[in-house]
Amino acid sequence: MTRKQLDRTLLCVGAAVAFGLPQLIDSPTYLQIIILLFFYAYLTSAWNLVGGFAGVLPMGHAVFVGIGAYTSTVLFLQYNISPWIGMLAGGVVAAAIGVIIGKPTLKMRGAYFALCTIAFAEGLRVMIENIDMLGPFKLNGPRGLLIPLKGDSLAAFQFMHKEPYYYIILIMLCLVLAFTWFISRSKIGYYLGAGGEEPEAAESLGVNVANYKLLAMAMSCFLTALAGTFYAQLMLYFYPKGLLGLDLSFEIAFIALIGGRGTIAGPVIGALALRPLNEFTRIYLSDQLPGLHLVIFGLILILVMLFQPKGLTAPLSRIYERLAQAITTPGGEKS
Amino acid sequence: MSALYQSLVNGTMMGAMYGLTALGLTLIFGVMKVVNFAHGSLLMVGMFAAYWLLKITGMHPFLALLIVPPLLFVFGYYLQDLVIKPVFKSERGVREPLTVIIVTTGVWYVLDNLALMLFGAEYRTVRTAISGTSFSMGEVIVSWPKFAGFVVSMLTAVGLWLFMLKTRTGKALRATSMDREAANLMGIDQYKIYNVAFGLGTAIAGVAGCVIIPFYYVYPSVGVVFDIRAFIIVVLGGLGSIPGAILGGVVIGIIESTFAQFMTSTWTEAIIYGIFLLILFFKPSGFFGNKQDW
Repeated sequence: MTRKQLDRTLLCVGAAVAFGLPQLIDSPTYLQIIILLFFYAYLTSAWNLVGGFAGVLPMGHAVFVGIGAYTSTVLFLQYNISPWIGMLAGGVVAAAIGVIIGKPTLKMRGAYFALCTIAFAEGLRVMIENIDMLGPFKLNGPRGLLIPLKGDSLAAFQFMHKEPYYYIILIMLCLVLAFTWFISRSKIGYYLGAGGEEPEAAESLGVNVANYKLLAMAMSCFLTALAGTFYAQLMLYFYPKGLLGLDLSFEIAFIALIGGRGTIAGPVIGALALRPLNEFTRIYLSDQLPGLHLVIFGLILILVMLFQPKGLTAPLSRIYERLAQAITTPGGEKS
Repeated sequence: MSALYQSLVNGTMMGAMYGLTALGLTLIFGVMKVVNFAHGSLLMVGMFAAYWLLKITGMHPFLALLIVPPLLFVFGYYLQDLVIKPVFKSERGVREPLTVIIVTTGVWYVLDNLALMLFGAEYRTVRTAISGTSFSMGEVIVSWPKFAGFVVSMLTAVGLWLFMLKTRTGKALRATSMDREAANLMGIDQYKIYNVAFGLGTAIAGVAGCVIIPFYYVYPSVGVVFDIRAFIIVVLGGLGSIPGAILGGVVIGIIESTFAQFMTSTWTEAIIYGIFLLILFFKPSGFFGNKQDW
């Protein structure tokens, strides 16, 4: 077995397990946990385009999740436009806002950019909490929006069971992973990497760093907003504090950093490591000791940053390399 | 007119205290080039320390100013030495280490939720000798605890300014903030300087805790309220600038209190964010910012 064959086999096995999983799991609760895991992995992959490849630290990405959710839901509730179309509309709105906000801020150094994104996200959240009607659009202020049940309907993006949601987010995740893989190997990826590490050096070689960063920002915001629509349709209810709050923004960044910033597998590994931990400690510990699950969360964050500052992907891929070598060499078929 | 004077006075006093909460943040950033996300949590630690001290002993809140800040200095010094320094060392070559920001966020989560586990989520207040007292100045009524907080904030800022200007440690702090490598070559142990900077920043959060506690309540996530505001203030004043922090604080305080005359307080919050973004678009270095930092 050659190395390439091994990689492919494992990828196929992984895909088969992922697509077959709903057949094995009956409990909708567990399925929901896995759906949210994929949702976070998806969001983090989208975040990674800016946070990983472009080398800045966006700390307010939840705002684009919110823009996606609000756009598609307002269009659906008031104009009866299918959320699938609303999803794309939300993506376009988010990308436009991302460009407006990115244009002046992406030039700044790390700390300033992080603070700007926080301030923008919090500012927009406070605004939405204060606005009941934005022109003709009903936003409902702090109460949030409720999507009425329409029964099983693909056009209305509503399903009575969890499986369809599972497959939708799984396919979205696969697509975004393929997209980041493609970007990381393309010219854009190399330009972004160069601009993230040494903007001056990259610029002196004729790379327009600012434009590529802006492009990454637009793509990232677009993809993030798509997940916002998904979330709205999955939960059928959302409110500004829950969806646009800093908690979600920070969790996305944490998953990326623990998994490995700027790697393709990082978001998935980070989500696999953090989400179940988060869910189970919250379910089992928060009754007796409120806050313990977040103490554990913070400690893990500190420990990973202390011992694996590049994230968990680096040591895991080293282990994989070694295993792969052990499996492929004794086979004797050297190619 | 008197309502306007009243809100200007209130805004200035509250703003100076916001400035005080931002002072430690700006000091730590100036020297280490790290945005300390745990700063609000350090303020919360300072507030709880002052709360328990005043609650148990019933002493005058001014006396607590002699006890809480030194304790917090030690706390911050060792927090930096044991938790943050190792990460800092692994990112030596980077001017603005992002991993360190994440570590401070971890510290924030741990501290806030440890407080939640230990003390519960309820809002606590303590009655001190100056709580609820006030004096009048013409038509304007001034609350004593806020006035005291204003004076202490100003004294702390001036004290820190003089410390940075006159003492050897202060000079070492400034040298490290200007150029890490050069300072190192001059025989300054940069990691010790970082410990001192972090300790001082934490001690100032302790001062803020002592002056806020006589008129405000404390609860585990109280830091977040001040934290976001402190971030805005430091960017407004210029990251790393001591007078900038106080001036930025006063500006935010006045905007908040005067706009509150015309609209609900949730809208004033939105307006502060709006003004903040406008400043970033047009003058990102703030009032006194160092150009190379942004």
